[in-house]
Amino acid sequence: MSDNILLTTTVGSFGKPDYLTKARGQAARGKLGATELEDLERKATAEWIRRQEDIGLDVLVDGEMYRGDMVAYFAERLEGFKIGGLVRSYGNRYYHKPVIAGKVSRPRPMTVSWFEYAQSLTSKPVKGMLTGPYTLLDWSYNEAYPTRRDAVLALAEIVRDEARDLERAGAKYIQIDEPAIHARPEEIEIAIEAMGIVTAGLSAKTISHICYGDFAAIYPQVLDLPVDQLDLAMANYGYRWLDLFDRNPFTKELAIGIVDVHAHQTETVEEAAEGIRKGLRYVPAPKLWPHPDCGLKTRTVEESVEKCVAVVEATKIVRKELAKVAA
Amino acid sequence: MTLKTTVIGAYPKIGDPLEAQELRRALHRRDRGEIDDGELGKVFDEVTRMAIGEIEAAGVDVTNDGQIRWDDLLSPFARTWSGVQPGPLERFYDNNTYYRQPVIEGRIDTDGRSLVRDYTFARGVAKTTLKAAMPGPLTFATLAARDDHYRSLEDRVLAVADAAAKEIAGLKAAGATMIDIEDPAVVASPKNIELAREAYGRFADPDLALTLVTYFFPPDAVLESLASFPVAAVAIDLRSRDTTAFERLDAFRTQDVVAGVVDARNTRLETADEVARYAERALRLIPEERLVLATTTSLEYLPRDVARAKLAALVQGARLVTGEKVVA
Repeated sequence: MSDNILLTTTVGSFGKPDYLTKARGQAARGKLGATELEDLERKATAEWIRRQEDIGLDVLVDGEMYRGDMVAYFAERLEGFKIGGLVRSYGNRYYHKPVIAGKVSRPRPMTVSWFEYAQSLTSKPVKGMLTGPYTLLDWSYNEAYPTRRDAVLALAEIVRDEARDLERAGAKYIQIDEPAIHARPEEIEIAIEAMGIVTAGLSAKTISHICYGDFAAIYPQVLDLPVDQLDLAMANYGYRWLDLFDRNPFTKELAIGIVDVHAHQTETVEEAAEGIRKGLRYVPAPKLWPHPDCGLKTRTVEESVEKCVAVVEATKIVRKELAKVAA
Repeated sequence: MTLKTTVIGAYPKIGDPLEAQELRRALHRRDRGEIDDGELGKVFDEVTRMAIGEIEAAGVDVTNDGQIRWDDLLSPFARTWSGVQPGPLERFYDNNTYYRQPVIEGRIDTDGRSLVRDYTFARGVAKTTLKAAMPGPLTFATLAARDDHYRSLEDRVLAVADAAAKEIAGLKAAGATMIDIEDPAVVASPKNIELAREAYGRFADPDLALTLVTYFFPPDAVLESLASFPVAAVAIDLRSRDTTAFERLDAFRTQDVVAGVVDARNTRLETADEVARYAERALRLIPEERLVLATTTSLEYLPRDVARAKLAALVQGARLVTGEKVVA
């Protein structure tokens, strides 16, 4: 049994080291320059690439040390957006919710240099990481476009251009996250249409991460989302979305969340392995990718590592089991 | 006579200037063990005072306490009611805002005093009419992650309604006369409308002005049914999505209509003229004395400076209508 089954990966973000959290705070208050901050972001990125290699993950990410929020990062770099005031997402967590105040356009690539830097540090593949057009709209205030569809389709052209630039820069995997896709199930067709614009003509493997919402409300329609792999939070839901696949078989590759990112405690390796076994009932091993439920940016560096270790160790156990069966 | 105005739900807990982020800092300090719950409580009280002050300063007629202590609509009750725990995080309807899903482990019960302390504090602060708020039984029951105790949704909804009845009685004893029952599930899950109405029968009280508060979704599918709930008023969103409700408001023959005319989920600011036009459309079928203008939902979905501007537009719009005849 080769290692090309049950490839392990992560959803995108990791906990930031204390020195970077502190530096971002200083930069926000104008007490640290952009170059100094970027030096620290590059240092943290390099550390995370090394950690992922040490842990034994198969397909890596840059860890998003340079991003705060997955929508605001792009909004800050696109014309037409304003950065809005602070709104709460949960508990004591706040984010600057962007405002689409005019016609959107992309003056220059937004993620390519980070991808190139991260990829230069490792021989393992690094995913290009983008936020999808539907989520960019849904997590922003729209003051400019007459309808939500108009805004989503305009954003789709921007994400498409970024995805093509990532592919040109060598990305073999491009992840276009749509965690908001089930916000309004009646709009799933808009999200699908927009993703069609983004992924048309790409030869990279395309992935979309979906989490925290009523997945049942968009299943099986979401199978029409034009990407190769859906990346789903499962552990947080006790794997109940798998039951949906009984009636309507899952037809794509599945990146399956096997550790809950919102719990400080990490699942045992055996619990995580059981998550993989559950996934294998519906998706064959070459198409099943174990990973944490979601990005790990709300966890500390140590917690992030623990969660990833659980994923890798659980995968080793299940790979061995599969090898025995095959032997 | 002026058209009355009110707010719905939660007010932004912090603002953008650093000096307006006291609560955020206090929560971090409590997490680090630098302050205790007593000191944190003082900050909660100060921010509650600020929220009520800002709502009143805008000229709003009926205020609430801004729900400053609430992490989400359900958690205050999932934490205090027996038989329930706050469970996993989930997105709250179509918002990029999360709540803890209640996990029901046993028979739900309460001493009915979950809100009494906060209500009493707010009453001491508010200069205008103060209303309290509770989650609706259908919303609480349908957003539960797990129920190990009740055999059906019906049993669960009615059990939550019985607990709500105790909270409502507790608030009444503390002096409350107006209580919002925030129940977006009534419009999100129209198929359960009859069950929801039965639940409201468990706490209906002719001496209390209860408002069935809906939001996020248009009321179109259930509008006439809402008019038959045993409540004094019904709040509906007339602003954020297309709706046929304007043409059907005469369904509310006795109840007040709390009309959501200022969009609390988009920063685009309504002008006072726009607000007045919405009010005038509603006034074609609802008399002035039974129409209350409101935000569509919690202002907490907006940055605080925008929330303030929205309240100003709401009040100015209501005043624009005053004394004017409805344009035919």
